[in-house]
Amino acid sequence: MSSKPSNASSWLQGRTVRKGAANSNSQTRSSTPQVQSTSNTIFGGGVKDPSGRTSEYFSMDDQCPVCKSDRYLNPKLRLLVSSPCYHKMCESCIDRLFTLGPAPCPICNTVLRKLAFTPQTFEDLDVEKEVSIRKRLAREFNKRREDFADVGMYNDYLEETEDIAFNMINGIDLPQTEARIAAYRAENAAVIELNIQRERDYAQALKDQEENDRKERELRAAEQRREEEDERQEREKHQREIIDRLETSSKDAAKVVAKARKKHIATSRQPSATTLQSNSRLLRSRAAQSTVPDVPHVPLQDDWYAYEDMFELRPSYDDPYSEAVRRDKEGIMRGGGYVVQEAWERALRSAVAGLTLEPLVGLPQAPDASPEPAPMSVS
Amino acid sequence: MDAVERANAERQKRWLKDQKVGEGAYAVVYRGRELSTGRKVAIKKIKVGQFKDGLDMSAIREVKFLRELHHQNVIELLDVFSSKSNLNLVLEFLDSDLEMIIKDRTLVFLPADIKSWMAMTFRGLEFCHRSWILHRDLKPNNLLIASDGQLKLADFGLARDFADPGHKMTCQVITRWYRPPELIFGARFYSSAVDVWSVGCIFAELMLRIPYMPGESDMDQLKTIFRALGTPTEEDWPGHTKLPDYHPVGQFPKTPLRDLFTAASADALNLLSKCLIYEPRKRITAREALFHPYFSALPHPTHPSKLPKCSTALTAQTIDENAGNVTGGKGGLGVGNKLKRKQTSPREDTKNRMVARKLDFTKDVPSS
Repeated sequence: MSSKPSNASSWLQGRTVRKGAANSNSQTRSSTPQVQSTSNTIFGGGVKDPSGRTSEYFSMDDQCPVCKSDRYLNPKLRLLVSSPCYHKMCESCIDRLFTLGPAPCPICNTVLRKLAFTPQTFEDLDVEKEVSIRKRLAREFNKRREDFADVGMYNDYLEETEDIAFNMINGIDLPQTEARIAAYRAENAAVIELNIQRERDYAQALKDQEENDRKERELRAAEQRREEEDERQEREKHQREIIDRLETSSKDAAKVVAKARKKHIATSRQPSATTLQSNSRLLRSRAAQSTVPDVPHVPLQDDWYAYEDMFELRPSYDDPYSEAVRRDKEGIMRGGGYVVQEAWERALRSAVAGLTLEPLVGLPQAPDASPEPAPMSVS
Repeated sequence: MDAVERANAERQKRWLKDQKVGEGAYAVVYRGRELSTGRKVAIKKIKVGQFKDGLDMSAIREVKFLRELHHQNVIELLDVFSSKSNLNLVLEFLDSDLEMIIKDRTLVFLPADIKSWMAMTFRGLEFCHRSWILHRDLKPNNLLIASDGQLKLADFGLARDFADPGHKMTCQVITRWYRPPELIFGARFYSSAVDVWSVGCIFAELMLRIPYMPGESDMDQLKTIFRALGTPTEEDWPGHTKLPDYHPVGQFPKTPLRDLFTAASADALNLLSKCLIYEPRKRITAREALFHPYFSALPHPTHPSKLPKCSTALTAQTIDENAGNVTGGKGGLGVGNKLKRKQTSPREDTKNRMVARKLDFTKDVPSS
């Protein structure tokens, strides 16, 4: 029954869709919309992330602000973002406007080139802008705590970095800010280079470790496969043996089979600790332990007495408390599923619940022991 | 020592706390034993005194309802006692929950297994509703599995009695993925139908092995539901536009359930669709569900003792999750911790802690 778990729920959400097969959980994903490119020029690469963990932003409600084409009209719609002014448009608009060289952005008139368009990662374009600016800054403002004599200086440096980032993001004093960046770059060229090298080493180390882990996993999987194969061969060999013996021996066939099977069980009942139980084996073992038969469904299995036979519910009662509920035929109580009959039923049930209880024993002079009251209707 | 204290001390002596197996913000869970019989129990110690409101609401609810409910498919509260300033609930010990079983990919579910779990869930729920109690937090990790395979409803921290005329109830209950649309629309007068919706979601999850309608926020939940089942019209659900928090979220077409549940039997889909009817009054009740042809059709439901089980190594973890449940529904918000991301900052070490955290944007941002 669990044959098709699929990515159905992720498309139900209409959220981002992974590009590339980063998660390799071998399921069919026929219903998953994939980001596809209608343009064969430059944008095929998608979001650049070798780890495959970052996906391109994708939404069912996409619409190109320039040509107003949306995902309904064009299921392959793909919006790209211009990098200096952060405006979205679709691939066909970009092809149309910028193939012949730099042209003004149709939204803000900044002059753009075709290569300035990048895939979108974040839903909010302000975030997109901030992240790309910070990415650019972080490439050069990469000093570490170790590069400073004391915490105060490091804090000043972080403060300055943040200041520059803020100016860049909000477009304040751009020329001066660029000048500050250039000055910083000139001053710290050596440190920057050194830190880039350090980052690279760290990334390399991480990559090596991942690679090692992967190899180890593969090794384990191969080991398991091999063990399964061994077991299968063992079984076949056993089958063959039985058949051979049946051919050659003159004894009763049933006895031969039984004897061989007993011997086989004795030899093969040493489960190898390393093998994980495979699904098929699990299923078999469950089918084997059918000592308890499945019984037909019995709807209710408790004998809790709910006094249903003690009262009859009428279609309506004179009940001033619930008047509001009944008057509210189409409104909030109706929509929420409130049912006034339930309140009446509960009241009746509570009312009759104590009727058949015997009076407490030991009380002085219990009045005449009341006989079991007959089913009655309460109004 | 007065009589009450003496009685309490006597009760306390009956139980023995072993090791701690989990902790939440409001309670610590210990594994324990009954001293006389050696029977395993779980002891939930409610922390009292550090919150200004006094005793935690969910503990009161849990005690109040579990004291009354005794049923094969409802967790049993064996005893309550206090130690120092703490309140201790002694509960039946249950090894695993349905969520672990759903997530354990080495297990294979037969249609009969799902039928058996559903029947036990509906039986427990029917009993609660017959006793006029709404559970209001049904989800796979609140359905615990006993060692003999019996499924039991647990965590009555959000439960309340219903069918009080004219009493408003809060709509901030039930973990989001299992919350029915009327609660998302803010209905203050609702009924047992809210629990049935949750069971419907669990039914679908058992077949799919992944949550059926995992909304990312309350707004998104509504969209997710409508995307799965189509936007309701006034005809489908009279009065829903008048609910307090009603807001239109766009039109989505109805898609037949068969498209997603390719392997399910017709009976199963019929029951599922009846659990997920928009109009709460038309939604099937727990009792009607138990008499639904799905349960009487072949194959018979699997005998509880033969249902798939998690390997026992996970025992401690289960209780851990239960401890999580204790905190999950606090403050009237039925959002399980499962939905919350754990916030960890692995790079934070003592050296960096005295300075402002440096943001690192050189790495590509992993998508959520």
